[in-house]
Amino acid sequence: MRRSDLGEFEEVVLLTVAVLAPTAYSVAIAEELEQETGQSVNTGAVHAALQRLEDKGYVSSVLGEATAVRGGRRKRLFTVTALGGRVLGEVRSVRNRLWDRIEPQTFPGLDLA
Amino acid sequence: MNPHPKVTPEPPVWIDRLLNRICAPHLREEVLGDLHERYYLRAERLGPKRARALYRRDVLAYLRPSVIRRKPNPEPSTHFANPDMLRNYLLVAWRNLIHNKTFSAINLLGLALGMACSLLIYLWIQDEYRMDAYHANGPHLYHVLERQFYDGKVEVGSGTPGLLPDELKKQFPEIAAAAGLSWEEQHTFLVGNRFNKEKGRFAGADWFRMYSVPLLQGTAETALDGPNNVAISRKLARNYFGSPEAALGKSVRLDNKTDYRVSAVFEDLPENSSLRYDFLLTWPDFIARNEWLKEWGTNVIETHLLLRPEGGEEAAARLEVNLKSFLKSRSKSLQTGNFDIQLFLQKHQDAYLYSNFRNGYPDGGRIEYVRLFGIVAVLILVIACINFMNLATARSAKRAREVGVRKVVGAVRGLLIGQFLGETLLLTLMALGIAVGLTWLLLPTFNSLTDKHISLGITSPAFWGTLLAMTVLTGLLAGSYPAFFLSSFHPIRVLKGAIRFGSGARFFRQGLVVFQFVLSMLLIVGTMVVYRQIEYTQTKNLGYDRENLIYLQAEGDLGTKYETFREQLLRMPGIQTLTYMDGTPTHRHGSTGNVQWPGKDPNASIQFQFSTVDYDFTKTLKLKLKGRDFSREYGMDSVSFLINETAARRIGYREPLGKPLTMWGQAGTIIGVMEDFHAGSLHQPIEPTIVRLSTKAAGKNIIVRTQPGQTREALASLETVYRQVNPKFPFAYQFADEEYRKLYHSEQVVGRLANYFAFLAIFISCLGLFGLSAFTAEQRTKEIGVRKVLGASVFGIVSLLSKDFLRLVLIAILIACPLAWYAMSRWLQDFAYKTDLEWWLFAGAGAIAVGIAVLTISFQSIKAALLNPVKSLRSE
Repeated sequence: MRRSDLGEFEEVVLLTVAVLAPTAYSVAIAEELEQETGQSVNTGAVHAALQRLEDKGYVSSVLGEATAVRGGRRKRLFTVTALGGRVLGEVRSVRNRLWDRIEPQTFPGLDLA
Repeated sequence: MNPHPKVTPEPPVWIDRLLNRICAPHLREEVLGDLHERYYLRAERLGPKRARALYRRDVLAYLRPSVIRRKPNPEPSTHFANPDMLRNYLLVAWRNLIHNKTFSAINLLGLALGMACSLLIYLWIQDEYRMDAYHANGPHLYHVLERQFYDGKVEVGSGTPGLLPDELKKQFPEIAAAAGLSWEEQHTFLVGNRFNKEKGRFAGADWFRMYSVPLLQGTAETALDGPNNVAISRKLARNYFGSPEAALGKSVRLDNKTDYRVSAVFEDLPENSSLRYDFLLTWPDFIARNEWLKEWGTNVIETHLLLRPEGGEEAAARLEVNLKSFLKSRSKSLQTGNFDIQLFLQKHQDAYLYSNFRNGYPDGGRIEYVRLFGIVAVLILVIACINFMNLATARSAKRAREVGVRKVVGAVRGLLIGQFLGETLLLTLMALGIAVGLTWLLLPTFNSLTDKHISLGITSPAFWGTLLAMTVLTGLLAGSYPAFFLSSFHPIRVLKGAIRFGSGARFFRQGLVVFQFVLSMLLIVGTMVVYRQIEYTQTKNLGYDRENLIYLQAEGDLGTKYETFREQLLRMPGIQTLTYMDGTPTHRHGSTGNVQWPGKDPNASIQFQFSTVDYDFTKTLKLKLKGRDFSREYGMDSVSFLINETAARRIGYREPLGKPLTMWGQAGTIIGVMEDFHAGSLHQPIEPTIVRLSTKAAGKNIIVRTQPGQTREALASLETVYRQVNPKFPFAYQFADEEYRKLYHSEQVVGRLANYFAFLAIFISCLGLFGLSAFTAEQRTKEIGVRKVLGASVFGIVSLLSKDFLRLVLIAILIACPLAWYAMSRWLQDFAYKTDLEWWLFAGAGAIAVGIAVLTISFQSIKAALLNPVKSLRSE
């Protein structure tokens, strides 16, 4: 697995794109992440991550409808590509395998089941 | 549309504007959209104040390369060097040139004149820098100069003691060679029955080892080693012996007295040698002829040194320190008095351009003229370039549509800039062609004007390099502003037909016109002042009458048979009176500090100009005199003195007549006080002067006053008597007024050149003004038509059109006056006696500038005002 290909923030952004599909775009993603993590996330960072993900071929984008709230500007909508999905799956299975091998007494307070 | 009009203000506009600049165009929409959407979301949730703060922070997060970097154009524009495009550019350029013949001609003519003028000045400057730069030992050749401290002043002189060169060479091992050089002397050469006067000098034995003067015959070692040797130039060898080969070893009789052997023949000195001599005699001979040269107190000969090359500049600096007190250890008079002389070095290469000294240190010289004309060359070129810039930008409306169309079909700004610059360069190249032609035509006149032998140097690559550099520089200077200006047009606005130019461009253009006229004014004032000063020197009452005065050298038999000569001559027609003297009224003879009188301050050291003369001195020169002249009736006059008023003041006698005076240890009395007269040039102040009676005419100059209007008879008389008394010498004479005029030769050259340059500058400036006024008139054709229909007079319209330009010229005059005043008062500082800078000079120059400008403008505006309004209003 080419782990270095996907940064941590990128991974989270990629997951959020999948969650919000088919209406994922920077603002929604940033808002979602802010809610989920409780930390402030700016659209600039998300935008940059999305640019990188698109360069790598994990997401594809299309310009959407213009909305009044954006001052008549269109938004760029992102969807996870097949490659992106596969990478996410790989990352997840690696994590899962590792989690599965952790003995229960290592984190007594956690429910590992 | 703002979806929350009541609660939420817009996000800060300036940030958006900034972001629009920074962000790549293809990302702008989504980035700004995202930012705004988030802003409104937050404003609802957190309030507008907090939302603003977060907005600003969010914007910062976008400042990253991936957002700023522009997307490459997927359809790149046509390559600049594409043959089709090039053909199109050339075609358009040519059409523009042909279509606007007047403006093209103005541009071309202005640039060509400016370039021709700069080219001439460049050639002149190059020639000045080449002077004396051809010696192989160049960087190691030095002149020894003297800094003389006396009377609270420091004077620099090139005269050094006759024994100095050999003594220095003995004392200082870093000196590889040293040679003295005498003043220029004229001697009559006699070979067979061919005789003529030749100019030459005496030089030390090392001379040909130091200077790169090629020897055609003889060797550098033996050329000047024996007392009866003479080295002659190729020219003399040809004239007297037929060829250099035939000359070697032959005998020449000098001044019909002594025989010399030709020991070497040297190549004629090149034009770029500031030292001139057709023959060189030897140093032992020079010392033998002038025994007093062995005195350490005489300072008359030039000392030239060649330092060992390995020492470099530091060795010269070290030597200079040692030289400072060198003379003090040799000369007794320096050890006692409070008069000091220090030796110092000047590079031979610098001697020509840096010949002036102030307070003992170099202070310009010809280099000032070199710099001045260098500046003038650049300024005239700038004036020509300004014409081009002004016309191109003023007429930019004509090409605005072309720019618009080109931009619409895909030309980017860089291409348009390239196109316009290229056009300018092509035009400059054409102008250069004309300029080189003009230069070639003008060069002979220019040479005779400046006493040079400059050639165009078409074969040297450096010359072509300079031309190329000049073309490119001129092209860039003239073309870059119009190119940037034209290429900045907005295609949509231009194609809609609404071309409105900001006041910035107009202001810039007006500034350039003002600048042009400031420069022209400076040159006009400069020319007027130089001319007035020359006029002043030529008409000033010098205290003696230089008209109808002729100089002859008392040489050969003339020196011994002067009395016969005088008596015979006075009986001949056309001759009024004659005398003889050391030096001439136009060339001072020398000065001495050895003058004593009772009550003289023992610490004072005053230098007196002196001359020894014959009877009738004041009568011949027509000097005003109090007391009496030397007279044959008084036997005692050999110990009498004539002094001038300045000397009387310095000595301090209230009633000087009959008072005692001692010069060179010989006591005598003052018998007459001459009214101050200007000996030499007006660069020097009148100095205290003492005149004594001499008994020997030999070596002096005979001064003859002729009857006014009978110069021809007088010359015939002179020649007849001369041939009788002195048959072995050619009859040669000089006119005093001509010699006097020659003193101001360089000022006259500068004056004439400044005159031409001022004319050129104002001509080129007016060319530009002509073009601009033509353009304005053309632009306002309709307005003028309407005004005329409504009853405007021709005069009213002319003044309407001229007013704007005249205002600019007036501003220029205001700016130029103080500048000109400053520059010209600096120039006049070099004269001890000078004209004043009168206010009317500036008023006159201003009037000239205004007058020429009015003439230029009115040609166009009257043409426009006389146009039938029916014609101008018909077309719509």
